[in-house]
Amino acid sequence: MASDNVLIVGGGPAGLEAARLLSDIGVKVTLVEKRPFLGGTPIAERYAALTHGFHDAETMMNGMIEAVTNNSLVDVRLNSSVTASEGEAGSFKVTLAQAGSGSSEVVEAGAVIIATGFQHFDPGRETQVYSYYEYPDVITIADAEGMLKDGHFRKPSNGEIPERVCFIQCVGSRDRQIGNEYCSKVCCGISSKQAIEVRKVSPETKVFIFYIDMRMYGYWENELYWPAQEKHRVQYVKGIVTEIVKKGDRLMIRGEDTTMGRPMEVPMDIVVLAVGMEASHGTRQMAQTFGVKQNKYHFIDVPHDALNPVATSVPGIFVAGAAAGPKDLDDSIGMAGTAAIKAAGLVRKMAMA
Amino acid sequence: MPRPLAEQKVIQEEVKELESFVVEGMDLSGHWNRMFGQRVIWDYSHDNMEKVTDLPGGESLGWCYGCAKCTAVCPIDIVGDYSPRKIHRKTQLGIDLFKSDDLWLCTTCMNCLRVCPKEVNMIKIMPAVREQAVLEGDVPAELQKAFEDTAKNGNPLGQPQRKRAAWVSQSDVPVPIMRQHKQPVDVLWYVGSYPSYHPRGIDAALAAARIFHALGIDFGILGPEEKDDGDSFRLAGETGLFEMLAEDNIKALEKYEWNRLVVTGPHEYNAFKNEYPKFGFDRPVQHYTQFLVEHLDQLKPLLKHEVNRTVTFHDPCYLGRHNGEYDAPRELLRAIPGVKLVEMGRCKENGYCCGGGGGGMWLDSFTQNHTRMRLSERRVREAVEYNAEVLAVACPFEVSRFEDGAKSTGNDHLQVLDILEMLDQSMRG
Repeated sequence: MASDNVLIVGGGPAGLEAARLLSDIGVKVTLVEKRPFLGGTPIAERYAALTHGFHDAETMMNGMIEAVTNNSLVDVRLNSSVTASEGEAGSFKVTLAQAGSGSSEVVEAGAVIIATGFQHFDPGRETQVYSYYEYPDVITIADAEGMLKDGHFRKPSNGEIPERVCFIQCVGSRDRQIGNEYCSKVCCGISSKQAIEVRKVSPETKVFIFYIDMRMYGYWENELYWPAQEKHRVQYVKGIVTEIVKKGDRLMIRGEDTTMGRPMEVPMDIVVLAVGMEASHGTRQMAQTFGVKQNKYHFIDVPHDALNPVATSVPGIFVAGAAAGPKDLDDSIGMAGTAAIKAAGLVRKMAMA
Repeated sequence: MPRPLAEQKVIQEEVKELESFVVEGMDLSGHWNRMFGQRVIWDYSHDNMEKVTDLPGGESLGWCYGCAKCTAVCPIDIVGDYSPRKIHRKTQLGIDLFKSDDLWLCTTCMNCLRVCPKEVNMIKIMPAVREQAVLEGDVPAELQKAFEDTAKNGNPLGQPQRKRAAWVSQSDVPVPIMRQHKQPVDVLWYVGSYPSYHPRGIDAALAAARIFHALGIDFGILGPEEKDDGDSFRLAGETGLFEMLAEDNIKALEKYEWNRLVVTGPHEYNAFKNEYPKFGFDRPVQHYTQFLVEHLDQLKPLLKHEVNRTVTFHDPCYLGRHNGEYDAPRELLRAIPGVKLVEMGRCKENGYCCGGGGGGMWLDSFTQNHTRMRLSERRVREAVEYNAEVLAVACPFEVSRFEDGAKSTGNDHLQVLDILEMLDQSMRG
């Protein structure tokens, strides 16, 4: 018998948006979240301001969370994981396990939306020598978000205000040796956003961005890149940093300044690694549990992604957000809408059949 | 200042190679012809960039994102190693533009701004930085001399102010000087420094006088009350001198009654049109080509003699790119019977600079130390490549520059003529 319920796995931006939209059109939703709270990576990783738009991440995510928590059509299951799934489009039987309680329950669903997102690349796997786990003043853009959320930007090693900060782009992305040939799409924009935020909280700090290609598509160019350079005087230098060498209590970055064709060895106080996106643990696990195909990077494979960006290899199971590969928030929210409508359409068609 | 290459020959037999060679802590050991400079970039300094971008007018230097479109159209880079993108990079690397020779190479030709997606505006950056350098006294000597001559005599040619109308005595038609004329005129002709004093400029001035006379124009000149327009000094950073000249010229012009102002040179045109209004001058101005084109119907019957030459026209930066006038000079040339007008590859919006603008007129030796050939020489070669017999010009800076360039490049057969001279030739035969 067909179920009129849609099961959404993941309570981040894509999952929350899909849940809200489905409830808006009168569809019942079970929203499963492994963590004890909703909001996904922006909340878990303590993002400061959203890219783009500079709106406060916590405030914006709270708005999305409220829309599903005070909603009779959305059954929110925190601390819960999907452990098994059987059935087919129109009548999936999904087993949920609640952490700590030892209990499990089978929920019926006509359609499933996987919105389990990404995780930040772990710079310990970097093939270049950035010594993230060795030098406290080498941080990632995720670490920087937390610092900026707390309203400061100081050297983790000694609490001093940094004289100069640099961002290194493409850490863990566009790298055959690491296995991530793809561009993570958002890091250029996030670095430029953070560079602006650093200049705002710490105007005496000089900020540099070392890059291979600045990938500021669409309005990110005029909203982030140009203001960072023109108004906030962030210095962009073409040429990536190969390694970081400790020099006294500072970090010396070594690389090539490509437009000069000369090597560079320049001291920095904080180096921010613009780490890319990888398939999250949850994404990898859900792909296996639901039996949907993954691509070679372990993201959920979308067979015809140009015109149907939310379909998976299994009918009735849809994907939204960065579970399908590197996405910005605009992409994730757009995909959530598409997945919600496709799931609702399927559920209703089955109910009428 | 680097010495010319000719003086830098290495006499190999006299070179001693030391096993270890350390100067002021820097190890320079190695084969004698290796690069001695530091290879590694040790620092990026925001300070020198911010010194520029903090200046009103200097802001946009920090906007460059390195697309390098400017380099292809920069007239200096064709003959030297220079472009706005490179200036941005060097400044980002900590070079002090205020003390750099690079500061004086830009001719403010504006071809970079035409193609720049970020609107990095060297026409504002250069004068702003140069103004500070001038205040600090960091000015190439030959340019400083032009500043001083002009402050003293009202012209950069070192000629006395009182002799500014001396050329009139050579004229075979009357050239009324307002102070003696004592009556209103229709056209106030602002002659300019080079047409007043330079022998080849005077040729153009005499031609203009004959043309005006033949057309029955009621005109007069300021003569000894006229001073250099000063616009090129403004662009070279001598803002105080420019303001003084502007005020003197405006004062002189306001003493007399006239209907319209016609100037010989594009730099003067730019000054009266775009800069003098900031000092309260609000009268319309025309370049002589624009004025004469309006009289083309009366002019054509006067052009009786054929000038059977292949002619190419060099667009002055300050008439073309800066002020958008490309048609008037060409219409005049086409009106001359017998003239075969050919266009050079780089013409109109993409016209190549003669090297005289933005102070370049008085930086010839300085610029030579940083370039493989003069811009004027490069331009002369282009005219020859396009089989021109005459290089027609409409800017008093250019005649002498291109004539020198034709000689130094062995292209003496290329004749350089102001459009005024060509019209006069056709009138008189």
